[in-house]
Amino acid sequence: MLSETAAGTAAAVLCGSAVGKSPDPSSHRIIDSNVSLFQWPFRHLPLDEPISLVAQLKFLGIAQAWAGSFEALLHRDIAGVNERLVVACQDHGAGRLIPIGSVNPMLPDWREDLRRCREVYRTPGIRLHPNYHGYALNDPVFERLLRGATEIGLFVQLAATMEDMRTQHPLVQVKDVDLRPLPEIIARIPGARIQLLNLRPRTTELISLAKVKGIHFDVSRTDDTDGITRLIRAMPRGRVLFGSHAPFLIQQAALIRTAEGKLNENETRDLLARNAEKFIEPV
Amino acid sequence: MLEPSISIPGLPDKATLDGYAIWDSYFTPSHSNPGPDGDYLTAEIERSLRTLAIGRFQRACIFPHVGLGTCNPKTAAALRAIPKLVTKAFDRWPKLLLGMIQLDATKVAGSIDAINRWLRDGPMLGVYMPAAPSPEQCCTHQNARRLAEKVISLGGVIMQHTWFITAGKRYPGMSTPTELASVARKYPEGKFICAHAGGEWERGIRAVRAGKNIAVETSGFDATAGFIEMAVRELGDRRIIFGSHLPSRSLGTELGKVIAADITEQSKRLILGENYRQLLAPIMKRKGMD
Repeated sequence: MLSETAAGTAAAVLCGSAVGKSPDPSSHRIIDSNVSLFQWPFRHLPLDEPISLVAQLKFLGIAQAWAGSFEALLHRDIAGVNERLVVACQDHGAGRLIPIGSVNPMLPDWREDLRRCREVYRTPGIRLHPNYHGYALNDPVFERLLRGATEIGLFVQLAATMEDMRTQHPLVQVKDVDLRPLPEIIARIPGARIQLLNLRPRTTELISLAKVKGIHFDVSRTDDTDGITRLIRAMPRGRVLFGSHAPFLIQQAALIRTAEGKLNENETRDLLARNAEKFIEPV
Repeated sequence: MLEPSISIPGLPDKATLDGYAIWDSYFTPSHSNPGPDGDYLTAEIERSLRTLAIGRFQRACIFPHVGLGTCNPKTAAALRAIPKLVTKAFDRWPKLLLGMIQLDATKVAGSIDAINRWLRDGPMLGVYMPAAPSPEQCCTHQNARRLAEKVISLGGVIMQHTWFITAGKRYPGMSTPTELASVARKYPEGKFICAHAGGEWERGIRAVRAGKNIAVETSGFDATAGFIEMAVRELGDRRIIFGSHLPSRSLGTELGKVIAADITEQSKRLILGENYRQLLAPIMKRKGMD
């Protein structure tokens, strides 16, 4: 066994749950900015029933989770997708699930889906899947959508990828979103709030994205034992939100990565909840 | 370094982790590249110690280069000239590190010499067959099979890098689980580990399912939910071996796959340590290792 010294005070940090025992919920506040409901199109996931996912949120002491819908990847009746999402969040969420509607600007009358997200479903933001919906960020429709969402006070979550390309279904191979046009576009839209989901950031990409106010990140695929710490310290304060990509990815993975990093208390609290609380508020 | 005083859920407590008695079969500091004087490797191990301690790991297996074509020529030359560079990390962390040497199937004679030196007569417990550019380095090639025969004759374990990439192999020397299964069928007395379970594990698990002398290793891909559950269902809990891929992957990603899986605590104990211990037990006993 390695020495206690080698662990530093990590043991004190990681007073996590014993198996079968829920952690003390008063000891932290966690907002998971990146979960999805319903069925992943290519595999059964252990927590793809909303009731199961909510049970896990409770068990892990996660106060709030921002939920998109896996149905949005391939379904074309996006209005129906969003309605089911909102109902499921109301029925099962017990206040923990915040619905994040999807908009596909390649569909006719997408502005109506955007309007409903704001006025009917009252979602705080929308989630985009440019690579599954078939447009690049330099397509003018993306800027129109981002501008439209910002004007009505919605944030935008942009899923840079949903699955490692190496493991995708052979008939549905979807490249990661090319983010290079993003800094220039977002600079033209004052007040825009965008969060990149599921990004495994490369250094050169990060340098470019970090310069632009309004671009935020999650940590669902930020691997390397020091990866989250490096990401947070490469960014201006407030730009990295906790997000797990559950139930496609194991939620505990992002939580443990948070703990194994060398974050100080302020950084940890910012990551786990405070940055999300600021991000969700319209400017 | 300041540490957060708040607790973060997700990781079992120390007593539970100690109960798992974790042995890591796939520890990859600097991808075992020692650099010209051995310092790359030791620095990367030092970087990982805090994480290993958080996970309460007992042992971790690295894959030393031994002067073949598996690292850059300058480092390979240094390793040949100064064999102490190969063992530098083991000398420093004798109770932590285990080793399996990396072989180069384009250099059969040199690899067999290395097997004799480091596995038959030295402290290593097996070999690591990496993904590599040349066709000879695919596990089905006759060169790779000759090396496998030699390792098997000495009772060593073969950790074979495998991936099923949707778009196909990136280079001819990569091996798939299907190819490993075909090799393992020829050598029923061999002990094979299918590193990364093929990455795309739904196919990887199926590919090795019939090969009772193949275990799957758990690291090297995102913490995709359902992997361990499927592996236990299709292979049984005694054919799954934990690997961390630290520090380039993370405790969260790799340990999370097992501890969050919907399997029994007994299965977790097997996967996180006991299966690997049992696989290594004969050769460790023969070498008089604890």
